[in-house]
Amino acid sequence: MFRLTRLFAVGIAGTLLAVACGGGGTNTTTSFKGTKNVGLSTPITGQSAAYGKAIQAAALLWQDDINAKGGVNGYKIEVKITDDGTDVAKAADNTRRMILEDHAVAMIGAVLSSQCQAAMPIAHQNHIVYVAATCNDYRNTTSPDYRIPEYVSVVPNTYMEATAAGIDAGKNTSLKKWYILSPDYSFGRAETPAFVAALKKTNPSVQILNSPSEWYVPLTTFNFQNVIPKIQAAQPDAIYSNIFAATQTAFINGALQAQPDFFTKYHFVTLSSIDDFNALPDKYPTGIRVYERAPFFAIQGNSIKDYVKRFRDKNNFYPSDWAVMDYDALSIWAAAANKAGSFDTDKVLKNLAGQSFDTLRGKVTIRKEDLQGVVPVWVGTTTRDPQYPFVILKDIVNPPGSELVLPLNRVKQMQDGQCPKNDLANCP
Amino acid sequence: MDVGNLVLFFLAGLSIAAVLFIVTAGLSLVFGALRVINMAHGSLYMIGAFVSWFVIVHLANALFGFWAALLVAPLITAIIGAVVEIFVLKPVYGKEHLLQLLGTYALTLIFAGLVRKVFGADVRSISAPAALNSSVPIFGHGFSVYQLFLIAVAVLVAGGLYLLLNRTGLGRNIRAAISDPQLLSTTGVNVTRLFTIVFMIGTALAGLGGVLVSPTSSVDPGMDSNVLINAFAISVIGGLGSLVGSLVGAVIVGLILSFGFAYPPTAHYAIAFVFAAMVIVLTIRPWGLFGRAEQ
Repeated sequence: MFRLTRLFAVGIAGTLLAVACGGGGTNTTTSFKGTKNVGLSTPITGQSAAYGKAIQAAALLWQDDINAKGGVNGYKIEVKITDDGTDVAKAADNTRRMILEDHAVAMIGAVLSSQCQAAMPIAHQNHIVYVAATCNDYRNTTSPDYRIPEYVSVVPNTYMEATAAGIDAGKNTSLKKWYILSPDYSFGRAETPAFVAALKKTNPSVQILNSPSEWYVPLTTFNFQNVIPKIQAAQPDAIYSNIFAATQTAFINGALQAQPDFFTKYHFVTLSSIDDFNALPDKYPTGIRVYERAPFFAIQGNSIKDYVKRFRDKNNFYPSDWAVMDYDALSIWAAAANKAGSFDTDKVLKNLAGQSFDTLRGKVTIRKEDLQGVVPVWVGTTTRDPQYPFVILKDIVNPPGSELVLPLNRVKQMQDGQCPKNDLANCP
Repeated sequence: MDVGNLVLFFLAGLSIAAVLFIVTAGLSLVFGALRVINMAHGSLYMIGAFVSWFVIVHLANALFGFWAALLVAPLITAIIGAVVEIFVLKPVYGKEHLLQLLGTYALTLIFAGLVRKVFGADVRSISAPAALNSSVPIFGHGFSVYQLFLIAVAVLVAGGLYLLLNRTGLGRNIRAAISDPQLLSTTGVNVTRLFTIVFMIGTALAGLGGVLVSPTSSVDPGMDSNVLINAFAISVIGGLGSLVGSLVGAVIVGLILSFGFAYPPTAHYAIAFVFAAMVIVLTIRPWGLFGRAEQ
């Protein structure tokens, strides 16, 4: 009996010691100086609603992780998440409210480039760091009309991903006649010409069948009954598309409906993401060429493996590209704020510019001249893998960010206003 | 442009017109008999689409799901229509139109919220039944069998509505109600019940449209407003309250959307041409091509 009591006492003492030394893992209690808010306006509803669920889950996982590590500068961090309904005005309003009412010390960017462009002046007026994890119009870091000193991008911008896709597409020299399909708003109008330029540079013999005025369809087009016959009539070898989310789902549905072999008859190149794959688990076409910003299954390293496991354990689904990039955005901001020892915007920005950070996608450097993250893009062919409930990519090429970023002389020309209409194509 | 492409665009236009006609016929029928502009008509179309998704994914198997949805969704939207007519519209009959507009507009907001609550905000997709999930060669191009099916259904609905209105007692009463509801009530017809039935037919057609469009598009919480805009344009062009007007208006709008988008100079303005046609009709013949001027 005495031995049992002594064993019990030793057990309790050991447990107390382990907790006191931090051996209790997540049970560790940290005393914070207070709480600081980070704002995140994201689509829980509307055209891009499919993206918001994973973004939200990533932000909450990051919040748990950072607070378990003692927060930022000794403060507990709370991510304030609001639904913007995939609406530009609502994103701007959310940003205003989170900065003024919730006193957010930093904002994580919205999904649509037009939403970020509406929110950026508000971040600038209030001098708050604005980290873009999804919206990626290259003009956000280069155009005198949009650019603000507080804007940092950790997502491959439209120039970078379009260049990666265009070079990859151009290498297939048997594809001569291309049809272009793009959403009619700032993202599409920035990305599509960059793709066409990279495609033509890689394969000068390509012919674009539809004129630039015909490239664009409204962002909220959900019925392609008049678009698909036009593509069929044009008889292209290949189709390039950067329509996404609900619009992409509708297009694939409509195309398969009109012609079950649509995606084998026409070589198809498109921007996509795990959320887009998930939207059509059984129907998403295989054999099409896709470019992605952060597909977890293609990223190497232990950080991403650990993240995917913890994300799945908590949420019971796989993290999307956005879930990876939003987690990275929050981590990069936190690392810079910790290094600065302050939430002061100028000090945080100083510790972002030109610095490198460990992220889920590996080492990421924020270029000093435009605060654009030097991040890679993944291009691959869709295939099925029994391990996953959605298509993944094979035959992947993964050009590093350093090969994709806009050359500095171009950045300077853009920033100096030497490119009429803020268009790269018009630079001297 | 060669003949093959013309035929392709013509059929595509007709398939767009098919769903639009079915939805607009419901809107027009309700206006003709009840003099109510139902702003919530698009919401019932959306509910029809979501119900069809639910039936196909959760209740019926893939083989019969779509056909079951074709029956279940219009039935459910008809029941919702009955509730709306009895509890929202009946109290405001005979009062100024603004009250009806505001009442049905409030319903659009309520239905939008309910759909998000019940089904979530995710975009869904459903497949056409296997028997229709193929294409037929038309001048060297593949054309969807399902889209041909849509055209056939629209023809059947048009024929069915014609027979209902012209060959049945119910149809006689509806036509009489359109002409003079007060006079009709003096003949012993239960006009109150007749209005409920007409409203149910109208909302069932909205639900049917929602089921039919789903395999060609997405089922999403924003689909209510898009269809309503087109349905109103068709009603104005064809004449609100006229079944023939709905049919002709839908074909005009469908062909404008198809051919307007097909040609490079007009591709960017296809939707604008629909509203240009609406403005022209409003200017020349405000009651629409087949409508009757209000006395």
